[in-house]
Amino acid sequence: MQTTNFSIARVHLTTNLRQTVVALLGVVFGISMYIFMNSFMAGVNDTQTALAFTSLAHVRIYNDGPADGTNLVSRAYPAATIAHIRNPRVLPYATGIGKAAALQALVRAQPEVVAVTPQVNLNVFFRNGSTQLNGTLSGVDIANENKLFGISKYMTAGTWARLRYRPDGIILGTDLAHDLGVQVGDNINILTSDGISRRYTLLGLFQTNVKQVDKGKAYLNINAARQLLAQHPQYVTDLQVNVRHYEQTAPLVQRIAPVIPYKVESWQLANQQLEAGAQLRNIIALAVSLTILLVAGFGIYNIMNMTINERIREIAILKAMGFSGGDVTQIFVTQALVIGLVGGLLGMGVGYGVARIVNVIPFNIAGLQTLPMTYYPRNYLLAFGFGVLTTLIAGYLPARKAAKIDPVAILRG
Amino acid sequence: MESNIALRAERIVKYFYEPEKFQVLKGLSFEVEKGEFLTLTGKSGSGKSTLLYVLSTMDTDYEGRLELNGETLTGRTQNQLAAFRNEHIGFVFQFHYLLPDFTVLDNVMLPALKINKKSRAEIEAKAYQNLQLLGLEAQARKLASRLSGGQQQRVAIARALINDPAVIMGDEPTGNLDSKNTQNVFDIFRELAHERGQTIIAVTHDEDFARNSDRVIDMSDGLIV
Ligand SMILES: Nc1ncnc2c1ncn2[C@@H]1O[C@H](COP(=O)(O)OP(=O)(O)OP(=O)(O)O)[C@@H](O)[C@H]1O
Ligand SMILES: [Mg+2]
Repeated sequence: MQTTNFSIARVHLTTNLRQTVVALLGVVFGISMYIFMNSFMAGVNDTQTALAFTSLAHVRIYNDGPADGTNLVSRAYPAATIAHIRNPRVLPYATGIGKAAALQALVRAQPEVVAVTPQVNLNVFFRNGSTQLNGTLSGVDIANENKLFGISKYMTAGTWARLRYRPDGIILGTDLAHDLGVQVGDNINILTSDGISRRYTLLGLFQTNVKQVDKGKAYLNINAARQLLAQHPQYVTDLQVNVRHYEQTAPLVQRIAPVIPYKVESWQLANQQLEAGAQLRNIIALAVSLTILLVAGFGIYNIMNMTINERIREIAILKAMGFSGGDVTQIFVTQALVIGLVGGLLGMGVGYGVARIVNVIPFNIAGLQTLPMTYYPRNYLLAFGFGVLTTLIAGYLPARKAAKIDPVAILRG
Repeated sequence: MESNIALRAERIVKYFYEPEKFQVLKGLSFEVEKGEFLTLTGKSGSGKSTLLYVLSTMDTDYEGRLELNGETLTGRTQNQLAAFRNEHIGFVFQFHYLLPDFTVLDNVMLPALKINKKSRAEIEAKAYQNLQLLGLEAQARKLASRLSGGQQQRVAIARALINDPAVIMGDEPTGNLDSKNTQNVFDIFRELAHERGQTIIAVTHDEDFARNSDRVIDMSDGLIV
């Protein structure tokens, strides 16, 4: 009985080949566009993330200063107490992270942590003659810094490793060096906010393609930075931490934040615009691709409806001969399913092809050479699943209508 | 006695509601014996086709009671009736309805494939045999839509016989046939009724055809005359 229904479905599909092909093309288009859109958006997001993480760690631990102290009286006396405070000032407090080595060991021991690096960060003026620009100076642990941010990849002049043995050396962003008018081997004067001034030799240049970084950041050996600030040899302002999966920072933050007396901040919290951008792009991709699938679904629905109207007499004859409503549904759902499965397979191929083609279109901005693209199997499987589901629904609705046809009403004429 | 009745119709009443309420069948009662070759006659518009649709279980919108092979069919669901038709009733429509995209052979085989009680080879052999009986063996591999009207009608008869149904109903089954083929169909029907005990109910305008059958029911304005 079932094989009979299948062979009827096969005859229907092959005799109306043009309609079958049109329906098939609809599915192929829907599924390939779904794959292309989502692969492209994932590519954009991945690129964005890679760019962001050239200077941003997944989790940052730092001392964010004393809590709000504008009205200390209220902590000790009832709320109704009238306090009169003038010119409150914060007395010197401990800056930086105390016992940084122990803290670093604790964080490093967490299962998801892949790298930790200490930094001494300060805002300074970069001076060359009368040119004076402000920016951030990062005193870093040469090896660990590179492990987190892969900064050596972005070097356009000199080498990253040289900084390790040159306490008088400095590495600048290309744009910063350009603005200062200095070249490798030249000297640069650094002025701190405490008014201390010191001279360094430019050892190399880097270019991350994040303008903000390239225009305003410089690296120093961490020990040189401590000397510049006249701090003790364990002084650290920031601990930068990378975890295995950058999206999954929450568990680590939740685990260590309560036991550390410092601020533990995930990249998502510090850079909500990045997260929002990625999410919004995902939503757009999903909305567009689901719309395309929906349109393809409507196409199939229309074609199935047409087929059923054309074959309404045949359906009546089948029912007169003893085929049940379920048989009729099966005959037409089978057709939709075949279109969905074949269209799905072809659509995955076409989607891959389109992705490949777009992936070689030149795009020379922010260090990219071509448009970004990803090839995640997940996108292909989802597209296939959604596609088959859409065709099933689009086929089932008219098929159910066909099952309810009253043969006498049709055959009586 | 009871077991000898193939079909029993009791006070069958049928209305049409379009364009206005109109009583087509006005309380028909009759019995048909097993192995009987019955013809239904009457002038055009007297309600013969309407009655046949009720008897064939396809039309369930009627009053009265219908019994086939001792089973009451009135009140059963569409799917139960479809299964019953598949096994026990062969039907030849007034307009020979075949599936146009299938071969003649496939058309004849389909009700048997649906019931799925015999192997494909057996069904095919039986279908060939039926086509041969009706002089159509040469057309077996053609698409049904490529046949002439008379050929299509004979294919429909071959299809109606495929499951050896207890009752074969035909609405002017020889309406498109020449006298030679009409005679052939008549002989086939009579043989099926008398040799194999299958019941035949055929609507006809052919007086010779009717006169030579076992019994004639003449209808006029929804009543048996
Ligand atoms: N679907 C319908 N809706 C309304 N009236 C109908 C319908 N079908 C048939 N009729 C009417 O019912 C009456 C009986 O029709 P029926 O088809 O049973 O006649 P018939 O005896 O088979 O005629 P013929 O010999 O021409 O085939 C006719 O008056 C016809 O107009
Ligand atoms: Mg009629």
